[in-house]
Amino acid sequence: MNPPSKPARTLRIVVINTAPAGAPACESALEAQARRNAALRIGLLESGYDIVASLPADIFLPGRIAQIQPDMIIIDSESDARDVLEHIVIATRDEPRPIVLFTDDQDPARMDAAIEAGVSAYIVAGLQAERVKPVLDVALARFRREQRLLDELSDTRRQLAERKLIERAKGVLMAKGGLSEDQAYQKLRGMAMNKKLRLADVAQRVLDVEDLLG
Amino acid sequence: MAGTFVTGSDRPEKGVIKLGFMPLTDCASLVMASVLGLDEKYGIKLELRRQHSWSGMRDRLLSGELDAAHVLYGLLYGVETGIGTPATRMALLMNLSRNGQAITLSRALAAQGISDLGSLAAQLRKGTRRFTFAHTFPTGNHAMLLYYWLAAGGIDPLREVQVATVPPNQMAANLAAGHMDGFCAGEPWSTRAMLDASGFTAAASQDIWPDHPGKALGTTAAFADAHPHACRALIAAVLEAARWIDESTEHREATAEVLSSPAYVNAGRGEIAARLHGQYANGLGRYWIDPDPLQFFAGGEATFPYLSDGMWFMTQHRRWGLLREELDYAAVAARVNRVGLYREAALMARVPAPFELLRTSMLMDGKVWTGRNPDAYISSFPIHRPMPAGA
Repeated sequence: MNPPSKPARTLRIVVINTAPAGAPACESALEAQARRNAALRIGLLESGYDIVASLPADIFLPGRIAQIQPDMIIIDSESDARDVLEHIVIATRDEPRPIVLFTDDQDPARMDAAIEAGVSAYIVAGLQAERVKPVLDVALARFRREQRLLDELSDTRRQLAERKLIERAKGVLMAKGGLSEDQAYQKLRGMAMNKKLRLADVAQRVLDVEDLLG
Repeated sequence: MAGTFVTGSDRPEKGVIKLGFMPLTDCASLVMASVLGLDEKYGIKLELRRQHSWSGMRDRLLSGELDAAHVLYGLLYGVETGIGTPATRMALLMNLSRNGQAITLSRALAAQGISDLGSLAAQLRKGTRRFTFAHTFPTGNHAMLLYYWLAAGGIDPLREVQVATVPPNQMAANLAAGHMDGFCAGEPWSTRAMLDASGFTAAASQDIWPDHPGKALGTTAAFADAHPHACRALIAAVLEAARWIDESTEHREATAEVLSSPAYVNAGRGEIAARLHGQYANGLGRYWIDPDPLQFFAGGEATFPYLSDGMWFMTQHRRWGLLREELDYAAVAARVNRVGLYREAALMARVPAPFELLRTSMLMDGKVWTGRNPDAYISSFPIHRPMPAGA
């Protein structure tokens, strides 16, 4: 058997163990649940993922997740503990992580519909170990793309703010130093190079001094 | 007697409606609409599908696996405004019930002489330990009612206590084990905790807000827009079921019997029946007949999708920092609550509909919510989540 290709950085995953919801717990239902969980775990381990913890879905789950800080959480799509996870999703919405729903429902149309609908979770067919990795890869790629877009957005905002700083600093040099716009800009650039600072930081210094001197 | 609305231009766009529900007493009007054949009277067939979590219910509504669902009023608005999930346009076809939820506190607290909000607040002031309370869903009715109740007692629910989301079937066990001090949930869970002596009823939800809205009948806006005739038929069928349930003690008893089935709520008939009749015991020796019990119809008042009800949930979402932006709350409620569709359905079912879109409510702290000036209402609460700078 070929050695599994290890992901670039080992993904730290928490799997949430839940008792089957709904019908009274009977032997066959529990066995099926246990088998699905085992197949999922084998699939993850064979794909080179790191299952950091397998946690029960109890009242202590949010605290444990906060301590462990996993990269991804996997939970059974039929679990009634999904609402506990919702609590975690909202509490950590500034630092989100993908939640992967685990199901042995093999209907690709249903999975596509769920993903199309923009649900923040992805479906994993849990029975065959070799199917786990491709689906998690897609889930992770999608999640990372969304995070990149959000990061780009915040980068753009930061750049805009810095540009405004530089404009204001130029304005100060022009007003107080009697310089032309081009001369003011060159002065800022010169200082940035000499002192090995970023242009925005030099601009901030100019504005700080202006504040001090009034 | 399939009436004229089944044929011709009013024919429902689809015959089978996949309807999600949770195993709670207040799913009754949906279940009875099916059991009494009221769906077929209006040319549709309800396919009831029991769900295990509100998250799962929501996801299935969004993916189209469900056409319509029994949802927490607050959850529907949370999806509309994008709290914890990408914002998706939703439609609220009708309110399903009023009242009948409860706040249960642990037996351990009772043993310390705590029996209500006042004594709870006094104990909390002593600062001996951190208290934990649970609800069913972060944006849902039980969370908002719990926070309101605590805050009305001078307790900051976000800073002074720990709050958790716990599946209802774990609540009584957690209380008994001492992992938490109380919870807010629906029936039959509150009755169960009282009966198995893990907790006692400290407050009925109608004590917090008499005639508060309950679960709603929700769909995606896309579904409602594409299937107005089917939605109208659905509302009409459920309206007739609601009227039937509230009509008499015998009907309520029969409803409890139907709900007790493993296919629906899967609980003892007696457990379900008592509070359905308004017969309350608090588990500490107090018994009463509640003047504002769980109601499904109330002459067409309980089912009307008042815009002020939807707006209330948004004001509370904003109050607690779940909703991070200011909205035109009236405009959102006007597009979510399908009042026009409801009025047409009410006409079909011969149910009187109120004239006003807003109703006036007085809550336990004496504050009055009229549906007007939501910004002022939000700002009027001394206890709230601090708004981030620039928000």
